[in-house]
Amino acid sequence: MTALIRRVPARQLAGYWFILPCLTVTTLFFIVPLFMTIWMSFNQWPLLGHPTFSGFSNYVDLLQDSSFWASLWFTVKYTLVVTPAIFILAFALALLVHRSVGFVGFFRTAYFLPVVIGMTAASLLWTWMFNDQVGIFSAILMDLHLIDEPVQWLAETNSALGSIVVMVLWKAAGFTMVILLVGMQAIPEDLYEAARLDGAGRVQQIRYITIPMMRRTFALALVMSVIGSFLAFEQFYVMTRGGPFNSTITVVHWIYRASFTYFKLGYGAAMSVVLLLILLALSVLQLYLLRDDND
Amino acid sequence: MTISAFVKRLAGVLGTSALVVSANAHAEEISFWVRAADQAFVEPMVKAWNDKHPTKVALTVIPSDDFVTKFGTAVAGGGAPDVVAIDLIFVPAFAQAGQLSDLSAEVKTLPYAKALSPSHMRLGAYNGKQYSVPFSAESSILLYNKQLFKRAGLNPDAPPKTMAEIQAAAKKITALGGGVKGFYFSGACGGCNVFTLTPYVWASGGDVLSADGKKETLDNPALRNTLTMYRQMWTDGMIPGGAKTDNGSNFINPFFTGKIGMMGSGAFSIGLLKKEHPEIEFGVAPLPGAKGGSASFAGGDSIAIPATSKNKKAAWEFITWCLSSDVQIDQFAKGGSIPVRADFADNTYARQDPRVGVVSAAMQSGRTPYSPYFNQLFNDPNGPWLAMIQEAVFGKGVDPAIKDAQGRFQQILGH
Repeated sequence: MTALIRRVPARQLAGYWFILPCLTVTTLFFIVPLFMTIWMSFNQWPLLGHPTFSGFSNYVDLLQDSSFWASLWFTVKYTLVVTPAIFILAFALALLVHRSVGFVGFFRTAYFLPVVIGMTAASLLWTWMFNDQVGIFSAILMDLHLIDEPVQWLAETNSALGSIVVMVLWKAAGFTMVILLVGMQAIPEDLYEAARLDGAGRVQQIRYITIPMMRRTFALALVMSVIGSFLAFEQFYVMTRGGPFNSTITVVHWIYRASFTYFKLGYGAAMSVVLLLILLALSVLQLYLLRDDND
Repeated sequence: MTISAFVKRLAGVLGTSALVVSANAHAEEISFWVRAADQAFVEPMVKAWNDKHPTKVALTVIPSDDFVTKFGTAVAGGGAPDVVAIDLIFVPAFAQAGQLSDLSAEVKTLPYAKALSPSHMRLGAYNGKQYSVPFSAESSILLYNKQLFKRAGLNPDAPPKTMAEIQAAAKKITALGGGVKGFYFSGACGGCNVFTLTPYVWASGGDVLSADGKKETLDNPALRNTLTMYRQMWTDGMIPGGAKTDNGSNFINPFFTGKIGMMGSGAFSIGLLKKEHPEIEFGVAPLPGAKGGSASFAGGDSIAIPATSKNKKAAWEFITWCLSSDVQIDQFAKGGSIPVRADFADNTYARQDPRVGVVSAAMQSGRTPYSPYFNQLFNDPNGPWLAMIQEAVFGKGVDPAIKDAQGRFQQILGH
């Protein structure tokens, strides 16, 4: 140990001391649990009782578990719907609040506010708004005479998914907006000035300056949004409980179910590992596709 | 704040009662967990105990839906309480996993052991040992609105005696219009429908599981008839639309509006309606079969001592008090529910309301499916039982629903 310290220059050693707190937290709350999960996935690990080593059996079961693949497919569908929706809305919002004009602070705050509400609380709030008896949406549509009787928003597969997408848009667009806003404001103003001198209109400026200059920001926003969508759980657990007809079960919901309804922690761990690998692959792919040409 | 005080507070915040429990081992205190559904009658009961006894009981109320998960996790983490009241159907799973103390010797010392609710005792037994005793009882009955019966030209004192009569009455009541519907059930709640739907099947001579609980027996005319009755009532608009998504949180609320003719419910509705909605004139009747007869689910909670308890003696003392007349009559019967001891069935409170007689009789002849996989099969909101009911009543139809469910039941039971 002393030999090691002697070899490392004092300045460099100080650097290690600085990252120590971060390293400790990461090790304790990420690396150790990660390896525990991987180890767990190679065992039959009942919540009650003792684990027994079982090699790849959980992974073999997983390959044959049509419910797991169905939940994964549903999660992909949800991600494909919700990610572009959030992205487009957030980009529009960011364009709106990008320049410092009157009340812009108010609007930025207003758009961001839903982000700080817990997902479960937000889901409960929206469950109530979607309710056919006391909810506001059916009431408004009935007052406008667009419908004759209240709509059961969460009772049909498509409307249930649609309802949740609307809720998530409201909840998450503000966060993506802030990320995009940061990227937008990092673009030097003189580029726009030059473009204006060349006679570029507002749309052309967005098309030829804003969007190309924001590739890295887009990549970050996209990766975070896709990860968030793949890990969706609370909103479905609270608003549909996976129904109707088990048609809105996300992959995390399925992992929760295997672990805490069936008490099969090893199997839940195996699914978590597979999900982790899928997310890793997806993130690498997105970062590759959206890489800067200068990288 | 000292470090130990901080740790205790942290443990409390995290909900890991392990540290708290070990700290309490020295104090005269036993911890007791119940599900939220029991809160109303357990809180006054615990207070009554604490007022009279030096050993204090610390009550924790767990959300009903999360009870199995929370208790299972606590058991696994070594933080289980000293006494637990569990929905009786979950006792086999925990007994099988070796998480409950063997109470066989203690039960033998009870002079009234033979009078204890037979369903509770059967589900509390595993491999010849007794792991739990009855705590509270709940039977299923048909709850009906006498005012709506009168308005629809039906005799309020002659409730339906067959399933066909239920359907006919529901039709007449729905015809009153103005948002009045003949029938209600929680269509997205598995547990609720074991309680209120299987009695029709039993009363018609069918069952959902074999007697030993090892096989599904879903392919039978009794279940097919029952689901068909529900489906017809749904398609004919006799059931409010909200039934489809009710996960049990609205179990009885629609009846409070006075716009529901009939619904399957439990003994608890008598006390609740008398107290909260005296304006509704209601009757209770046994749940009938296709050609008459009747059946009930024998439900409620069993009480047990987790294997890890360090206060087993005090815990047992508390349990025997729960079975005494102090609790079963002066608390439970007084509040409108049924005692778990047959020798207490005839009591002052039961004599005051003939409706209590109906629920007591239902409890005595009630049935409970036995399976260590009950949670996965019946209570899981994504499990095969609920999927079957949803597909049969609201979805693609009775026959395909039963066929799908057979495979998924066997998959779970085969494990």
